[in-house]
Amino acid sequence: MANVSLVDIEKRFGAHVVIPRLNLEIADGSFVVLVGPSGCGKTTTLNMIAGLEAITAGQLLIGGRDVTDMPPKDRDIAMVFQSYALFPHLSVFENIAFGMRIRRLAKSEIDAQVQSVADRLRIGSLLERLPKALSGGQRQRVALARALVRRPGVFLMDEPLSNLDAKLRIEARSFLAKMHHEIGVTTVYVTHDQSEAMTMGDTIVVMKDGVVQQAASPLVVYNMPANTFVAGFIGSPAMNFLELSLAGSTLVDPDNGFSIPIPDRLRGALNGYGKPKVVLGVRPEGLRPAARAADASGMPQLTIDVAQHLGHETLLDASSGPHRVVARVAASDDSRIGERRPFVFDQDHMHLFDQDSGANLAARAGL
Amino acid sequence: MSEAAAIVRPNRTWVRLRYATPKIFATLFALLLAAVWIGPLALMVITSIKPNSEFLNGPFAWPIAPTLEPYRKVWQGLNFGVLMENSLIYAAAGSALAVGLALVPAFALSRFEPPGKRYIFALLLTGLMLPQQTVLIPLYDILRWLHLFDTRIGLILVHGVYGMPSQILILRGFMTTIPRDIEKAAQIEGATDFQIFTKVILPLAIPGIVVGYTLNFIAIWKEFVFALVFLNSEAIFPVTVGMLKLNSDRYISAFNLPSAGLVISQIPIAILFILAYRRISSGNFVGSVKG
Repeated sequence: MANVSLVDIEKRFGAHVVIPRLNLEIADGSFVVLVGPSGCGKTTTLNMIAGLEAITAGQLLIGGRDVTDMPPKDRDIAMVFQSYALFPHLSVFENIAFGMRIRRLAKSEIDAQVQSVADRLRIGSLLERLPKALSGGQRQRVALARALVRRPGVFLMDEPLSNLDAKLRIEARSFLAKMHHEIGVTTVYVTHDQSEAMTMGDTIVVMKDGVVQQAASPLVVYNMPANTFVAGFIGSPAMNFLELSLAGSTLVDPDNGFSIPIPDRLRGALNGYGKPKVVLGVRPEGLRPAARAADASGMPQLTIDVAQHLGHETLLDASSGPHRVVARVAASDDSRIGERRPFVFDQDHMHLFDQDSGANLAARAGL
Repeated sequence: MSEAAAIVRPNRTWVRLRYATPKIFATLFALLLAAVWIGPLALMVITSIKPNSEFLNGPFAWPIAPTLEPYRKVWQGLNFGVLMENSLIYAAAGSALAVGLALVPAFALSRFEPPGKRYIFALLLTGLMLPQQTVLIPLYDILRWLHLFDTRIGLILVHGVYGMPSQILILRGFMTTIPRDIEKAAQIEGATDFQIFTKVILPLAIPGIVVGYTLNFIAIWKEFVFALVFLNSEAIFPVTVGMLKLNSDRYISAFNLPSAGLVISQIPIAILFILAYRRISSGNFVGSVKG
């Protein structure tokens, strides 16, 4: 097991800067998920840790050793690829044994280790088969076995579940989490799927354009997103954003009937802000139509555009002027399409973001 | 009148015919092409089992008294067994040399960015476009200088080197299709470039090697000019040059003998193609990447 330190890492392809300057500390035994949209630099970062991409500038330490210019085989890592990358001409046994054969280990040791890891991953009966005779899930386990048998200090995984169907993916997700819990190897996992990131990682590193937007535990990222990008990327449906004017301790848009008091806990975040507008962020579960009998005076009125009945809950798409929101409500909600209803904005779910930079004002103020 | 009754049902036969017509024409066209292709081959086989007099009476007529005599005459008269053996040696060894010489450059060109890669490609393409005749004199000089003129080794070397550029292009194209992730996985497992080449790329490139080898084998089997110019001794002539004897007497037109010789000479090619086809058509990367 080993910790991984990325110090001022930079990656360029010619004149094109892909990773401007990356600093990241991955603790020994942790499960870190690099997440972000396509092109954010997460796979490039993983490839640099693996040694498959040269590092343009900066320093990479694995287990305290500077491995910046070392080839992959000397980095004490193993990797599972998105495509599995099994050797198609070799049997499952030979796929798993490939690295050990390269290192010229004794036959008895190879046999014992392959059998042990295969039994652990429940592929012991498939050892004679070629990869083409395996299902997607079995191939994925063979790829995992090939990586596990090396007993690496760091496990690197590049979207290993993205080629599995939805049911198998959920199974594999819990299998991987359980495996990590058992063996405790430091794991760096790349995905573009925010729900995968939320459920698997001890730490989520959200990236955009090669820059780390936030690195924290899943709940911190969800409940205290560093900026509008993180807030919009993590969570499904995404957080709702409304650009509103500041009028004392109230957020207003008189043209569309919005007048929302700023929660006490967020008022300090606006000290010295000095801009006329702010972006209000509310997660879908922080919004709901007011009860029909309740006094709705002062509440923003929104028109129900779409009601998505999911069985266990309903998602309401509602709008007023330029403002569009999605609310997660109980399955029993009886809102009708086209109906105009007053909405309650839950004070505990509100976030305020800088209208220009998108930074979370409370996080910036250290609240 | 009800709405349902107003619907006019078209005649089903006409509808079927309308949809089938393009298919009928396409099939007829394909049959015509097949006839153009198979016709000369069939004529060659038919001529080879006719006495020559029968051929002269009606070249396209079905044989009245089929005979294998032309085959016996050609086999014995030309010492066809030796010719076939020579051709086999030139084609097998020349193709092996061409493929062997091409493997490493093809790997390098498919995976790395050597300086001047574009120029290397231009050079290879130029090599392919040069007419065979333009290299006859330089090759003749080189073979004499190496004391390899009129030797089997000399002709094998010429075939190997002449076939190499096309083999590089074929193998490079094939190696480019081998998924990069497989190579990266081997790299992660600790394989060196040489081990990646021998343990991963080479086994996966076998269909490409078989294709290249087969094409080169056929090209050498059919080759005439190099063998005619660089060989003098009858004992080491390939089939193509050896069969010239059948044409040496301009006053006798024996068509059945060359036909029999041609049929015999095509048998190894047919066998090779059948053997190679199964290997070429086997999906080699199935299961390596994705689901």
